[in-house]
Amino acid sequence: MNLVRKYPTGTLLKFVVVVLLVMWSVIELYPILFMFNTSLKLDPDILNHPFSIAFPPSFESYARVWEGDQTGQPFILYFLNSSVILVGTIVMLLVTSTLAGYALARGRFPGSPLVQQGFLLSLAVPAHALLIPLYFFLGNLGLRNNPIGMMLVYTTLGLPLSIVLSRAYFLSFPVELEEQALIDGCSRFGAFWRIVVPMSKSILATIAILNVTWVWSELFFAQAFLSDTDSQTLPIAVASYRPAQMQASAAISQHFAIMALTTLPLVIFYFVFQKNIRKGIAAGALR
Amino acid sequence: MTATEIAGTPITTYPRQLSVMQRFKKTLQANLMWYLFVAPAVILILVFMVVPIFEALSLAMYRWNGVRPREFVGFENFIDLFDDRFFMGALQHTVLFSITATLGTVGLGLLLAVAISRNVPGAALYRILFYLPVMVPITVVGALWVRILEPNFGLLNTFLRGVGLDGLARAWLGDISIALIVLMAVTIWQYSGFPMIVLLAAIENISEEIHDAASLDGVSEWQRLAYITLPLIRPVLISISVLQIIFSLKVFDLVWVMTRGGPGQSTDVLGTFLFDEAFFKRQYGYASAVAVAMFIIIFTITYIYQRVVRVENAKL
Repeated sequence: MNLVRKYPTGTLLKFVVVVLLVMWSVIELYPILFMFNTSLKLDPDILNHPFSIAFPPSFESYARVWEGDQTGQPFILYFLNSSVILVGTIVMLLVTSTLAGYALARGRFPGSPLVQQGFLLSLAVPAHALLIPLYFFLGNLGLRNNPIGMMLVYTTLGLPLSIVLSRAYFLSFPVELEEQALIDGCSRFGAFWRIVVPMSKSILATIAILNVTWVWSELFFAQAFLSDTDSQTLPIAVASYRPAQMQASAAISQHFAIMALTTLPLVIFYFVFQKNIRKGIAAGALR
Repeated sequence: MTATEIAGTPITTYPRQLSVMQRFKKTLQANLMWYLFVAPAVILILVFMVVPIFEALSLAMYRWNGVRPREFVGFENFIDLFDDRFFMGALQHTVLFSITATLGTVGLGLLLAVAISRNVPGAALYRILFYLPVMVPITVVGALWVRILEPNFGLLNTFLRGVGLDGLARAWLGDISIALIVLMAVTIWQYSGFPMIVLLAAIENISEEIHDAASLDGVSEWQRLAYITLPLIRPVLISISVLQIIFSLKVFDLVWVMTRGGPGQSTDVLGTFLFDEAFFKRQYGYASAVAVAMFIIIFTITYIYQRVVRVENAKL
């Protein structure tokens, strides 16, 4: 019987709660719908009828950003740069964080408490402190304006939380399965790769989920390290349209198209995995 | 338990006559696999985090424009920070922003979580929808709200004029007295879903029996909230608040896209101040001093938080 979880039906309180929730939904969702809607309109329409529904929809703004935005860069270039950095970062992050988390959960080797403490401390480091030294360091390595440089920086920034989570996961992973494999002559790595990893899809998914959003959206380091237009990512493209006055620029619909295209992959990702995402966030947030 | 067991090497006893070097080699061999497992992560953290922190500390002692030779100035940069009213302004804005954003997101998140947890009609839908803005990139949120708040053709002013509230229409981001408040509001709009999800998970962890017992005792909704829900989710509530403070202290993207610290530095925060000093004024030493100050503030809060949370968790 699960009746007790519900409000006493028909009370004034319930009515008030429902009305407030509906109002808040409108406040939260309307701006996002407005963005997608506006991206399907043309500039004069956007300025004169901001509330009108884009019907029939015009895909002209999308066609234009596909060919090139105000700086002449085609959208696909930003999209590819962002995608390459995202995929590279997530792959590196998954490999390095699960290996380290597994070693810290299973191995008691000289130095392991130190390494564990070090990772916990690294959780507290704000990325801002690294900006200037990394700017010169990447410059010296020739990795500025380079996706590999961004991947290395982003992987490092994502590591502390990912390691803490994967270690916690492997601590609760049954040892017996691996031990059997070790007895059967498997190496440690073999046991990890063939037995543990295939059974650990949930932690891999959690680590990926927790990092996809911020890597795709990251602006602070990207803005500083990616000055060549052909190495830039989507957030930089979004931020580069900065006309404060709407009438001053003729590229409003293009800006909306870029915003919509930057958001769309994450929205699709969210609706496909929304249950896992919310679970992962709830579990990962409090570490 | 033998000493080697405590140190964690596999349980093998070594003949006493082995030298230190030989024992070291044996330990290394026995644990080589583990060292290879942690090596990539350790190297990345060392090269891209630990070394840069020390470099930032050292850079903060210099005056340097990135081209000419560095000039050692000791702690002068830090002393200058305290005399720099723009830095102090940025610090003040950052703290104000963090406190307001935290109270707003956690407060709203708590209200939403409590409302949804009681199986209100459509609860499953709200839970999905209220988290959606968190997924939208901050740069997009910023750029979108710049468009919505645009004084002449923007959505908000058009709406206000349309319903006869012309007096309320204003240059939302061009007004020194309200621009920072607008930024806070946008952050609360975007992030209230985040504490909501975390608090909702905590509320749903409260066992069914407690609720059943309370219902049998005939408690009101308010009593249930005050005497059952809130006390039981208190640790999570504190954690999520500290996390939101730390997160907001690092604010950069939103301010960068919406106001670049303007008008008249009225929304400058530590992140944008640091970025400006480094990449526009090319004062790398001074900017590093800002970075070190931020590091000390955020690292201290996070470190204390980790200690407290771990102690609290140990008690549970």
